[in-house]
Amino acid sequence: MNVTKSQKMRWMPLFLFVAIVLLVVGCSSESADSPEEQGSQGGQSADGEISGELEIQYFVGGYGDAWWKEVIADFTEQYPDVTVIEHAGPNINEEMRTRWISNDPPDVVYIDGAGSSETQMIEDGQLMDLTDWASEITLEDGSPLLDSFIVEPNRHEGQLYTLPLVFDTWGMWYNAALFEQEGYEVPTDFESWMNTMTEIRDRESIEPFTTTGQHPYYFLRGVLYPAFASVGGDELLADLVTGQEGAWTSEPVLEVMKKVQRMQEEGMIDEGYAAFNHTQSQMNFLLGQNAFIPVGFWLPNEMANDIPDDFTFGFIPSPMQEPGEPYRIVPDLRPLAIAEEASNPEAAKAFVAFAFNREFAQRFSEYTGAIINLTGVDLTGNDQVPDYLKEANEMFNDPDQVQINSLPHPMSADLETPISNALVALMTGNIDAEEFCERAEAAAADYRD
Amino acid sequence: MVQPKSQRIIFLMFCILPTLLLFAVFTIYPLFSGLYYSFFEWSGSASDKEFVGLSHYIQLMNDPIIPRTIIHDYFLVVTKVIGIMILATFFAVALTQLRIKEAPFYRVVFFFPNIMSVVVIGILWAFIYNPNLGFVNAGLEAIGLGQYTQPWLGSERWALPSLVLPSVWAGIGLFMLMLMGGILNVPKSLYEVAKIDGATEWQQFWKVTVPLIWPQIKNSILYIIITTLNGSFIIVQVMTQGGPNNATHVMGSYLYQQAFKQYNFGYAATIGVMILIISLITVMIMQFFLRKEKIQY
Repeated sequence: MNVTKSQKMRWMPLFLFVAIVLLVVGCSSESADSPEEQGSQGGQSADGEISGELEIQYFVGGYGDAWWKEVIADFTEQYPDVTVIEHAGPNINEEMRTRWISNDPPDVVYIDGAGSSETQMIEDGQLMDLTDWASEITLEDGSPLLDSFIVEPNRHEGQLYTLPLVFDTWGMWYNAALFEQEGYEVPTDFESWMNTMTEIRDRESIEPFTTTGQHPYYFLRGVLYPAFASVGGDELLADLVTGQEGAWTSEPVLEVMKKVQRMQEEGMIDEGYAAFNHTQSQMNFLLGQNAFIPVGFWLPNEMANDIPDDFTFGFIPSPMQEPGEPYRIVPDLRPLAIAEEASNPEAAKAFVAFAFNREFAQRFSEYTGAIINLTGVDLTGNDQVPDYLKEANEMFNDPDQVQINSLPHPMSADLETPISNALVALMTGNIDAEEFCERAEAAAADYRD
Repeated sequence: MVQPKSQRIIFLMFCILPTLLLFAVFTIYPLFSGLYYSFFEWSGSASDKEFVGLSHYIQLMNDPIIPRTIIHDYFLVVTKVIGIMILATFFAVALTQLRIKEAPFYRVVFFFPNIMSVVVIGILWAFIYNPNLGFVNAGLEAIGLGQYTQPWLGSERWALPSLVLPSVWAGIGLFMLMLMGGILNVPKSLYEVAKIDGATEWQQFWKVTVPLIWPQIKNSILYIIITTLNGSFIIVQVMTQGGPNNATHVMGSYLYQQAFKQYNFGYAATIGVMILIISLITVMIMQFFLRKEKIQY
């Protein structure tokens, strides 16, 4: 068959289109340079000095970035041959995702904020095994870093991939000025909490407790974890987080969930809480629509521009324990880590070791109102540190008042999401405690499979 | 001077090349890469992927949340099509047929939400629905209907219907302008003839206006369907994040949750393929039902 020139030309756009598609697909990420091809951008120079470019990824949320700026400035002063490149912001975990996927990650990462997961990063083999190196790090006074943590680092199959930098803990915030003015008692256990909330509900005509229903893990981590710790300690926490068979339907868990059901039935929980995101719930709390909210230490810093003049922050660990028992806290640690594929691992190690310093820990508390995970940091004499933090720090150091529990590792999102959904159903009164436990147990079974 | 044919073709290729390139990069490539990733177990943050064949498609069939998301999507499609088309048609007819002096002002007012980001609209309406501080409950209390106040977005029953109002409010302006364009093109003589024949205003609307602006109505409906199936994710994400207890998850928001909260990018890609197929089927069915002889005048 003869094909005329004009017929050939008619097919030309199609050929051209296919060629473009193939070209685009061919130029996709598969052809990205491998780390070996890219080569090292720095490291230790011949004379043993740390040099080259150092990329640091850090999330900027409620704690701001002032502390990071100061640490990085001091670091570059001490290591003038290192050029620090900062990747920071509230969405930095998403913005840097493609870098991690293409095996071109930053050298140091602070794991915090939406879109980050320590567990996932370790499972994906993205973080450097720090086990041997970390045992050699010493603080400014020569004490070993691993002996100086308030809370031990998470270990995955015995290995250390992250070093816990920020000691955050969820607890119960209240308006200390209002409590003092109206004579409301600060709760010391669950029953006294219910009594205080009943009094506030009746006198102030508000639902006393609020949290964010769009992010139910605030309640899970801020209220339920301490409650589970009070009835079952670290062992129960570990069973729940890892989804052990029968853990979520066990008697102690049911006992805790019945307390939550009681809070709902007695009108303590804000009726609209399920729709609130975390800033809406925090705003409602600051505006006096509610009296208690479980949030981490970032709350005062995050809401600094919206705090009414007559408002004073008061903080206690979540009062879910029985009378006579100490409060429980389950700290939420925000770690530093080094990428497995770091281009400049020597500078990365130097920076991580540099950041753990008691002087920086003081500065962190001044800037953020929160605590670095180091012992021996005396905040009492520091006028720049807010009172609630000094009081909390004092409580945390008194085992008769507060006991510290810990999780083996953060709960997987595959388990946390369905449990969170069941929790919203319980807290809006659509299911009871028994049904919650059954749904959570079913979610754990799915997770195990 | 007549140009040689080959020169014209080269000129045409030069013109369409950028478009083809953009289409390939931003439509064809993501489409096929989405399909490709649906066959892999991938966390979305690692470079390693494990081939799992059709297992994500089997998971999709057995996922109890998927049917709910599809129902939620179609609920939004139906309510938005009805709400937007009735109101947009009403205002389009009113602003073109009635002698309203302030018509240009109203056009701007109705179109205003279209220039606002959906995120802003979502945040605004979340405040309006706030059970403690919001306008809706306060308004109901003020007119003596306090017994009907609700935690609108926090209620499993009311959260999804509550999303319809902001979506309709935000959509009226654009479609009103599209329909106005059609109505203004209808020759006045047809209405005059209809009047002489004794047709009422209502009959003129159904017998003259609707048939002659049918292409605009059809395109509007299809556009609402497509944008709802693909875009209702944003309003859901801003206002409820799929909650409470999955009561407002649509296919897009569930995809987002799987990808960016649960790190199941492979499964999320499978949901993306499902959304594409469902959207295509829906549009094809609607095109079949909305087909009509073109009326010439």
